[in-house]
Amino acid sequence: MDRGKLVYRHSAATRVTHWLFFIAFLALISSGLQIFNAAPFLDASDKTDPHHRVFAVQAPRQDVGTVTVFGRAFTTSGWLGWTDDGMGAKGARAFPGWITIPAYQDLASGRRWHLFFAWLMIVCGAAYLVWGFTRGDLRELVLTRADLPKIWPMQLYYLRLRDAPPPHGKYNPLQKLAYTTVLFVFAPLIVLSGLALSPGFDAWAPWLTQMFGGRQFARLWHFVLMLALIGFFVAHVLLVMTTGVFNHLRSMLTGWYRLGSHES
Amino acid sequence: MNRKIFIATGVTAALSACSPLGTKLNDNATFKKVLESAEGVNRRLIGTRGRVREYSQADISPDFPVNSLDTPSDAIYTMLTRHAFAPYRLVIDGAVEHPQRFSLAQLQHLMTITQVTRHDCVEGWSAIAQWQGVRLADVLATALPKPQARYVVFHTFDRDADGMPYYESLSLEQAAHPQTLLALRQNGKPITPDRGAPVRLTVPTQLGYKSAKWVQRVEVVADLSRLYGGKGGYWEDQGYEWYAGI
Repeated sequence: MDRGKLVYRHSAATRVTHWLFFIAFLALISSGLQIFNAAPFLDASDKTDPHHRVFAVQAPRQDVGTVTVFGRAFTTSGWLGWTDDGMGAKGARAFPGWITIPAYQDLASGRRWHLFFAWLMIVCGAAYLVWGFTRGDLRELVLTRADLPKIWPMQLYYLRLRDAPPPHGKYNPLQKLAYTTVLFVFAPLIVLSGLALSPGFDAWAPWLTQMFGGRQFARLWHFVLMLALIGFFVAHVLLVMTTGVFNHLRSMLTGWYRLGSHES
Repeated sequence: MNRKIFIATGVTAALSACSPLGTKLNDNATFKKVLESAEGVNRRLIGTRGRVREYSQADISPDFPVNSLDTPSDAIYTMLTRHAFAPYRLVIDGAVEHPQRFSLAQLQHLMTITQVTRHDCVEGWSAIAQWQGVRLADVLATALPKPQARYVVFHTFDRDADGMPYYESLSLEQAAHPQTLLALRQNGKPITPDRGAPVRLTVPTQLGYKSAKWVQRVEVVADLSRLYGGKGGYWEDQGYEWYAGI
């Protein structure tokens, strides 16, 4: 077996923030769904308005759960709407207990978790960006104009319609596109849409809430951005798993990565 | 390939351990303290700045949810409703130079503010209503808080099923905010008994649980620890943040 050279790939700062991001991400989703459960609907409006309802999870009757998306209802009994109440039984509940923190319905605790880990995420994100820009690590991760023509060939390579990837550095153009979108579009937007929900922040910067189309609309944005970040997370884990999972795990734990035969 | 199945199982196990682990940690007193540290950050950074947006009549919610404990059913409140709140007196006391008692007629006479604001519930919903009432700051000024005053506590006619009184509190700064009102009218009509008659608080810069209904007495205090659960409010005593600006 051709064993490539070991290189020091991830700085300690990157590794520490990576795993803190991971913990905060899981805590934010689980506690966020707990919070969502207290008002399991999303409206594309400022005030709550059933005429602008985009998404709702309901239990129309005993043992039945439904999800309504743009007015179209789907039966989701057992999974959403009527599901695990976190206390060993089933009941009327939007997201099941096995996915929320705490498992049982407890809005006050969910909020405590969410607001704590939101700050952890923001502080980590800021530290990561400052560190990345001052050390230059981020330059390898941020999409540049030179990467743009390489995006499509890279996509073809992933689709196995091209034998070799276009020449690139530590990260390929699609990886750069994904990381750049997450770091500079999704992450800032999910923080801002979260802040737009705060009546105190709204008093200070009402333009922010209006930018998202109002408070309930900001809830919708916050939720959709969560879905987008989950999409990134799933793709990230799948790609890590299919491109040498132990090598990747070692590099994110110790910093050392073994290069493949076509990498230098 | 076995490796991949192994890893996939590991990832699934890690994700499904998240909720039980979090639920367990949630009961840990030290961890709870850590989580609660965020409240101080929010209070300091977000605080009470600026003014919330005021809306037009057209924006008013057709159905403002009634989302609270039941309408008070005790003898005094029932008697007051029977007499159209004529015997009602709003008491302002505690750490003040001049304790006050206002009848509903006196409050109506002082009523100068009309504002259409959005009420944001901690659960996540929002409703817009027009409120007419008295600035809390103006009422407090007549009583003249003493130098040691730090908080304003709102005692209400409301009791939960166990007889626990509903109360709330604001800092002096939040109480002095120009949009913090003691409201007498909602959407042009006197507030109805299920919505907090005769006088309720409306604090649009904070989440809805701060806007206490059925206000009976406004007590100015130096600290909150000696009242009920000591956290400054009915919901606060049950784990919700005292700083409800987020």
